[in-house]
Amino acid sequence: MSLYQPHLMTIEAIQDETPDTRTLRLTFRDPALADSFSFKAGQFGEYSVFGAGECTFCIASPPTRRGYIECSFKAVGKVTRALRELEVGEIVGFRGPYGNAFPVDDWSGRRVLFVAGGIGLAPVRCVLWNVLDLRDRFDEVTLVYGARTVADLVYKRELAEWRDRPDVRLVTTVDPGGEEPGWDGEVGFVPAVLERAAPTGENAVAVVCGPPIMIKHTLPVLGRLGFPPDRIFTTLENRMKCGVGKCGRCNVGPVYVCKDGPVFTAAELAALPAEY
Amino acid sequence: MRVISDADLRGLAADLLAAGSTVWGPARVPGSPRPGVEYRPLREAAELDLGAGLPFLPLKQVFLPPTEPLFWWERKGTEVRLVPPAPPNRRVVVIGARPCDAAGADAMDRVMGWDYRDELWFARRDAATVVTVACERPADEACFCSDVGLGPSHPRGSDLLLIPHPGGYAVEEVTAKGRELVAAFPHRFREDEQVTPGETAAAGPPRIDLAGVQRWLADHFEDETWNEVALRCHGCGACASVCPACHCFDIVDEPDSLLAGTRRRNWDSCQTSRFTVHASGHNPREGQHARVRQRVVHKFQVFPRRFGRLLCTGCGRCTRACPAGQDLFEILTLVSERALETS
Repeated sequence: MSLYQPHLMTIEAIQDETPDTRTLRLTFRDPALADSFSFKAGQFGEYSVFGAGECTFCIASPPTRRGYIECSFKAVGKVTRALRELEVGEIVGFRGPYGNAFPVDDWSGRRVLFVAGGIGLAPVRCVLWNVLDLRDRFDEVTLVYGARTVADLVYKRELAEWRDRPDVRLVTTVDPGGEEPGWDGEVGFVPAVLERAAPTGENAVAVVCGPPIMIKHTLPVLGRLGFPPDRIFTTLENRMKCGVGKCGRCNVGPVYVCKDGPVFTAAELAALPAEY
Repeated sequence: MRVISDADLRGLAADLLAAGSTVWGPARVPGSPRPGVEYRPLREAAELDLGAGLPFLPLKQVFLPPTEPLFWWERKGTEVRLVPPAPPNRRVVVIGARPCDAAGADAMDRVMGWDYRDELWFARRDAATVVTVACERPADEACFCSDVGLGPSHPRGSDLLLIPHPGGYAVEEVTAKGRELVAAFPHRFREDEQVTPGETAAAGPPRIDLAGVQRWLADHFEDETWNEVALRCHGCGACASVCPACHCFDIVDEPDSLLAGTRRRNWDSCQTSRFTVHASGHNPREGQHARVRQRVVHKFQVFPRRFGRLLCTGCGRCTRACPAGQDLFEILTLVSERALETS
């Protein structure tokens, strides 16, 4: 089987997150593969809709939960719109897991701060659940999450679950004008809300995923909170086709995002040309 | 020295065809709008045309076709079945490759084989024996192989290297595959004490300072030079299609119906405007200057540092193909001069 031939997976469940964002739970058709498949938090896959093509998303479920994977996507292009048409029981293709991972094992004993915007909560969710499933190994866990409007917040059931957990500090926010009656979270952009929440960078790592503009304004805030650039992690979302370092599309300066990434530290990003 | 005559080289092609091998070589294409020759799978040995210069398209098409099926899919109810393509002919011989093309495939081996191995590429590479004919003279003034560390009789990427002499060729056995080909058809080769392994068109002294070019590229990502050299570029991507070392590809689905279709990979180019566009619409390489810069920096600085080979063999095809007169060697010369100014 060539590198480019996907494994077949069945859509086990569909969860609509927002009007245009959806989560699929997928299981391998091949029982042997279902048993043997493993991955690390931060890795991604190439998902196929046969007849429409492939698209690239992170695996949004944690590696600590075996037997299935989940992906969350916004229906914005040809393939994601086709993926949105599929129903439970239908078949998709999957190639992966590809790329590097968050070094979760190195974070034992540290505080872990997650900062996410919009659908950027998908890669964060993977590593957040990974950390929560191994909760004893880590110090304080904080999530600062924002979206344009209340309707655009994804994983609402999980946000409620994290809010109720005493061992998670959750701060949610929506952009000014995005609030609605009954909204009891913050109103404001993620970087400003993060600065007000002021989690300490002492003995801490930060995971930041979201729109490029959010990441750009969040990095200086993290610096002021005491997070050094080599303890701030993010993912690059460059366009990819092959996922395995051949097709050339995700090349940014000296790195291939699909092989050297998608996880980079802020220190690594600072050394790259801004072609991401 | 081992030699092969003109007639025996053609005879070798005939022997191989008779034995069921696929034989690629430069040949005239009846009805082609382009003058000259193209690398073609030969139907008969008489088609082989070694005197007509450099084929318009590079040899990479033998190993990475312009378009190829990755698999076929068909849907029955909720089931999906995937059918992989048939393996290639196990015996492929290229007769009359040019040194720049052989070296281009060698550079592509590096990226096709790092970590993940592209079996579609290597199945064709492993099956093929490349018999290269050294160049007696540059095809035209666009050639610059001697300026990028290669030359008209450089053996890189070849299994056999044939060096022209009157009436035939001196044979250099470069690899085990090349020796096996000679051993399989001994009657086509003979020993000739009179022929010594001479140079053909000797590699001239390089006209640019390659190390200086690489140094300059490494620390001039933001530079007015990129705006200047990008003015001519239309972003058509022709340069990548004719390049013996450009390996970028796209993966697309071609449905035949709602129930069946083909997933293909097709040559692609980083020079086109939509190559890097994110699903959100954000384009990390928004301007043509950024795309031209990517082409030059990747070929001459990034790829060599990562894979130990330049991603350019100086064949000059991009210069010949460009409808706007873009000239890669001119860009390198400019960069080389700026490197001198700034050193």
